[in-house]
Amino acid sequence: MEAYILLTPSLIGFLLFLLAPIAGVVVISFFDWNLMGSPRFVGLANYREIAGDSEVWRAVRNTVYYVVLNIPAQTVLALLLALAMNRRMRGGKVLRVLFVLPWMAMPVALGIVWNWAFDPQHGVINQFLSLFGVDGPAWLSSTTWAMPVLASVNVWQYTGYTMLFLLAGLQAIPESLYEAADLDGAGPVQRFFRITLPLLRPSMFFVLVTNTIGSFQMFDTVYVMTQGGPGGSTDTMNFHIYQQAFQLFRSGYASALAMLLFALILLVTAAQVLYFRKRTVYDFS
Amino acid sequence: MSVSVRRILAGAATGALLLGLTTGCGSSGSTSSDGTVTLRYAIWDAVQKPALEKSIAAFEKQHPNIKVKIELNAWAQYWSKLQTQLAGRTAPDVFWDHVAYFPQFAQQGVLADLTPYIKADKLDTSVYDPKLLSGWEQDGKQYGLPKDWDTIAQVYNKTMLKAAGLTQEQLSALSWNTADGGTFVKALQKLTIDENGKHPDEAGFDSKHVKQYGLALASPNGQTDWWNAATQNGCKLQDKAWGKWTIDQPSCVEAIQFIRDLRLKYHVAVPASVTNTPNGAALPQVMARKQAAVVWDGSWDLNAYQSSMQDNFGVAELPSGPVGKGTVYNGLSNALYTGSAHPKEAWELVKWLGSEESQKIIVATGSVWPGIPTLNQEFVDVWKKKGVDVSAFSEEAAGTTTGYPLTTSSATYNIKVLDAFNQVWLGQQSAQKAAESVNEQSNAAVK
Repeated sequence: MEAYILLTPSLIGFLLFLLAPIAGVVVISFFDWNLMGSPRFVGLANYREIAGDSEVWRAVRNTVYYVVLNIPAQTVLALLLALAMNRRMRGGKVLRVLFVLPWMAMPVALGIVWNWAFDPQHGVINQFLSLFGVDGPAWLSSTTWAMPVLASVNVWQYTGYTMLFLLAGLQAIPESLYEAADLDGAGPVQRFFRITLPLLRPSMFFVLVTNTIGSFQMFDTVYVMTQGGPGGSTDTMNFHIYQQAFQLFRSGYASALAMLLFALILLVTAAQVLYFRKRTVYDFS
Repeated sequence: MSVSVRRILAGAATGALLLGLTTGCGSSGSTSSDGTVTLRYAIWDAVQKPALEKSIAAFEKQHPNIKVKIELNAWAQYWSKLQTQLAGRTAPDVFWDHVAYFPQFAQQGVLADLTPYIKADKLDTSVYDPKLLSGWEQDGKQYGLPKDWDTIAQVYNKTMLKAAGLTQEQLSALSWNTADGGTFVKALQKLTIDENGKHPDEAGFDSKHVKQYGLALASPNGQTDWWNAATQNGCKLQDKAWGKWTIDQPSCVEAIQFIRDLRLKYHVAVPASVTNTPNGAALPQVMARKQAAVVWDGSWDLNAYQSSMQDNFGVAELPSGPVGKGTVYNGLSNALYTGSAHPKEAWELVKWLGSEESQKIIVATGSVWPGIPTLNQEFVDVWKKKGVDVSAFSEEAAGTTTGYPLTTSSATYNIKVLDAFNQVWLGQQSAQKAAESVNEQSNAAVK
C-alpha cells in the first residue's frame, strides 16, 4: 500500500501527460476537428483518406529513407569511437565529453548553425570545397542532398551519445576472456567478432531500438532546416503530422497519422526484438 | 515499464504531446494586486517593434493602470502559435491580424466585434481609408481598426544604380514582356556583373560566378514577387472574393514563367538556392551583402534597409507589364480577442493603436504607412529628411492594385505554394504544373 502512495506523484504525471494524451489521440483520430469548433464524428474517414493520400506515403518513404541513412552510419561510427575510447589514454575523458557535447546542445540552435554551414555561397562547407576547386551543390535546395544533409547533422549530433552506451557495454566485458583468447592464439579480428560483438549484444539491442524509434520521430532538424522541402523531399512523418495539426488545423487527420506512425514504429521494433531474441545473450554480471 | 516500451508509447503520443502544449502557453492578461492590468499584444515583425514600443510607452503614460507586453513571433510561427493559443483559450488580448487569416478567425468567433465600442466612444471611423476599414468588416461587424497599408516597390542600391548609368525615374519607367524581357531585363542586364566584369548579354558571361545580380526576389506566398508580375499581366488570383483560385490561367502562368526566367533564362536575378524560404536570406540581408542592386519588397521593410544601408538606397516603382502597372496592396489591423479577461482595457489599446496620435508616432519613425490617409504626407516627409524618396509606394497604391486574396483556404495555399514554387524558381518544376497543382489543392480547401 505504501508503495502505491509513493508511486502516486509519478503515476499522476504518467496518467495525465502520457496516457491521457495518447487516449486523446486515439479518440480524436475518429473526428474532424480544427481545435476550435465542436468536433464532428467521421468514423474511419481519416484512415480512409490516409490510404489515398500520396503525400502521406511520400512522408513514410522519406522517414524510412532517413532512418536507413541515419541508424547504420550512427551505430558503426559510435562503435568505432567506443572501441577507440576503450583504452587508457591521456585526455580520454575530455574527448568523451567533447563527443557528447553535440547531443547536449539545443537541436534548434544546431539547425540554425548548420544552416549557415550549408549555405551554398557563404557556408563554410562550400568554401572548404572550393579550396579544392569543387563547386559544392546548393545542399538544402537539392532534392538529392537535403535528406542526406539532415541525416548527417543527426549522425553528428547523436553519435557521441550512442558511443557512451556502447563504451559502457565494452567496459563490462571481462578482461579474462581476451586473455584466454590470446592464449588460444586469436588475432584482433577474431577477438572482435567472437568476443566483443557477441558480448556487446545487450547494449547494441538497446541502442538500436531506442535510436530507431527516435529517428522515426525526427522533427526539430526538419523544422529548422528545411520545413519539409525542397519539393517535399524531407517531409517526414512527424513533420507532416505537425503541419496537418498546427498549420492546417486538422487535428483529427493528424491524430490518425500519429496512429499510423505508432503502427510503423511498433512493427519495426517488434522485428528488432524478434531478431535479437533469437541470439544468445551472455551475462557476466 | 521498460524504457523501449515507453519510447514506443511516446511515438504514438507525438500528436498528443504537441496538443498538450496548447495548455501550457500562459494565460491571458493578468491583474496584479495594485490593480494594474497587463495586456498581451502579439506581433510578427521585428522591424516594426521599436516603433510600436514608442507608441506603447505613450499609451502607458496616458493609462497608468495598464501595462502592455509585446509578444513577438516571426511570421513563419505566428499563425500556428496563435491558433494553438486560441484553441487553449490563452491567446493574447490584442494581436495583429492579416487578411489571409481574418475570415477564418471571424468564422470561429475569436475576434470581438468593435461596433458597440465604436458607438459608445463615438469614434470617428471616417478618418480611415474606406478601402482599409471595409476590409475588416463582415456582415456589418467591424473586427479591427486599420493599422497600416503597404504596397510593393523596387528598393535599389544608389551606388550600383549610378554605376550602371541609370536613374530612379528610368527604373520606375521600365517595362517587361514575355518575348524578350523588354527594357526591364535590359536594365537588369546592365546591373548584373560576373567576376570578370561581363554582363549577361555579353559573350563569355559566366552565369556560375556572378559578383552582383540586377535583382533579388523572395516571397513565401507570392506577395512580394509573382503576384505583382501577375497583376501587371492582367492575371486575377481569384475569380471573385471568397471564390475559387484561378492561378492556372494563362495570364498568371506567363507571369510566373517570367519571374522564373529572370533567374534561369536571363541570369539577372539571384538564384533561388540563395533566396528560397525557409533557409534563404531575407531581402534586406541580400542587399546588405551587396549581392543585388534591386529588390522587390514591401514598404514595411524600409527601416530594415535603412539600418543596413543608411541613405544609400532609394525606392522606384515596379515595372509595367504587358497589361500595365500593378502592385499588391494590403494592410494589417489590430484585433481584440473575445476571450480577453480585460476587454475594456484591450479596447483602449486597440483604440489607441488606431488613433491619429499613435499613428503619428509610428509614422515619425518611418516604420509603416499609416491607416489614416491624412498622415501619408508626413510619412513621405519623414523619409525625405532621411534622404529617401518613398513616394513610389503611394504612386502605385493610387494605380492598379491587387488586394490580398480573400479566402478560407489561405493556410493550405501558403503551404502548397511555398513548396511548389520554390521548385519552380530552382528549375525543378514547370510554371504550368506548379500553378495547376497549387490551384487544385487550394480550391479543394475552400470552405
